[in-house]
Amino acid sequence: MTNERKRKILILDDEPAVVTYLETLLKDNGYDTVCAGDGKVGMDKAKIDRPDLVCLDITMPRRSGIRFYRDLRADPDLKSIPVVVVTAVTGYGGDPESFKKFLSSRKRVPPPEGFVAKPIDREEFIAILRRLLS
Amino acid sequence: MKDIRGFIHRKLWDQVPLAISIIDRDFRIVEANRSFSDTYGRWRNRRCYQVYKGLHEHCARCAAVETFADGRIRVKEEAGRLPDGKRIDYLVHMVPIVRSNGEIAYVIEMSTDITATKVLEREKLEAERLAVVGQTVAGLAHGIKNVLMGLDGGVYVVRSGMQKGDSERILQGWQMVEENIARISSFAKEFLEFARGHTPRVQPIDPNRVAAKVVELFVEKARLAGISLRAKLGPGVSCAMMDEEGIHTCLVNLVSNALDACEISDKPGRKVVLGTHERAGKLVFEVSDDGTGMDYEVKKRVFTNFFSTKASGKGTGLGLLTTRKIVQEHGGTVSFRSTRGHGSIFRLVFARSRLPRPAEEADQPGND
Repeated sequence: MTNERKRKILILDDEPAVVTYLETLLKDNGYDTVCAGDGKVGMDKAKIDRPDLVCLDITMPRRSGIRFYRDLRADPDLKSIPVVVVTAVTGYGGDPESFKKFLSSRKRVPPPEGFVAKPIDREEFIAILRRLLS
Repeated sequence: MKDIRGFIHRKLWDQVPLAISIIDRDFRIVEANRSFSDTYGRWRNRRCYQVYKGLHEHCARCAAVETFADGRIRVKEEAGRLPDGKRIDYLVHMVPIVRSNGEIAYVIEMSTDITATKVLEREKLEAERLAVVGQTVAGLAHGIKNVLMGLDGGVYVVRSGMQKGDSERILQGWQMVEENIARISSFAKEFLEFARGHTPRVQPIDPNRVAAKVVELFVEKARLAGISLRAKLGPGVSCAMMDEEGIHTCLVNLVSNALDACEISDKPGRKVVLGTHERAGKLVFEVSDDGTGMDYEVKKRVFTNFFSTKASGKGTGLGLLTTRKIVQEHGGTVSFRSTRGHGSIFRLVFARSRLPRPAEEADQPGND
């Protein structure tokens, strides 16, 4: 391991099993993690921990992933953090591109940097993170 | 003038598109018009229930009996059998013929054939049911993907723990596998129940009694959570032809959701009210809460399959969908109003005229 600071990833998902999974996977790949189970806590953690990237679920209680995403993009201090959507939602047109378009449509915010469908392909997922954090 | 009246009477009697018969107190048909003969065939020396429905005694809940008793005009939807054995749905008006001494000697039965309308109504209900089942099949994929993610994650965590010799991590991963196997079993069970449904057993039920039973079921759980749960039962709510088990399921789903919405709310003095009332021939169940309420995104997806905002393992997302299905089977509607931070009201509305008939009455040949 180099002396470089470990990159920190915020995992937002209301399913504890998914959080444990992603946390283990990311730590195994040399990343630091911060976790939250809903969009409200997630936003608080984003402000405090300043993650390098966010892995975002969409369907969550209290504040959904969609609302979190739009709030993040509206915050001048946080808006440049790359976001990878990790979801099983297949609506809004059923494909990643139309989903990204949907996310960015109403508030005219840019689309998320990555989109990974659940259940994830680990190699593809890690490759996306590496590319976005390089 | 007399000629005109006679002409009008003859014309009206035989040419109006209504099957008209006049029955005495023994239900014997003493007169009928041409349309009646054309529709129901031979009627002389026969009783109305024999001609309309092929029964051997007068119908249960006979509207003619009531009109003979109180002299009031009645309108009722009925189903009968034609001479060729085909089912006919008709709307019948019961009008008393009152003698000068106040005695009701006869009742006029005027029936309109509404079979085509009823067929369309049944087809519409069936189409709605199929659409809901179709959406559910699509939604099942979403639920399964989440479980697969949990299973895949569990396997990964176990393997990662084994590679690192970390027994705690192995145990953690194994628990994930077990939990998700339990979840998929529960999904499969609920989905099958939803898709298969059950044949509604329609019988006269007391809506207030069902509502009171549901409140009783949850009152202790609510008390422990610090939520006030009470029933507000309308005094004018009378018996209705419904499937008690189905209505019970709907109210359990709504009350359970309302309590969950209150549980995650930080407000003091939270309350849930299950109410009933009746207005303009419509029976209404209403479940209101002052819990978290819903935002736009959640409201849009309330009736979406497997959509749940509840914590993992607490809801499969089929509750409201099942509720809507049962309500539609009763010819009713589900609606809701919700404001983020203020709470929600879910309302089940059943028009009495659209409530189903008892299965045994509707299905048996020669019987309604």
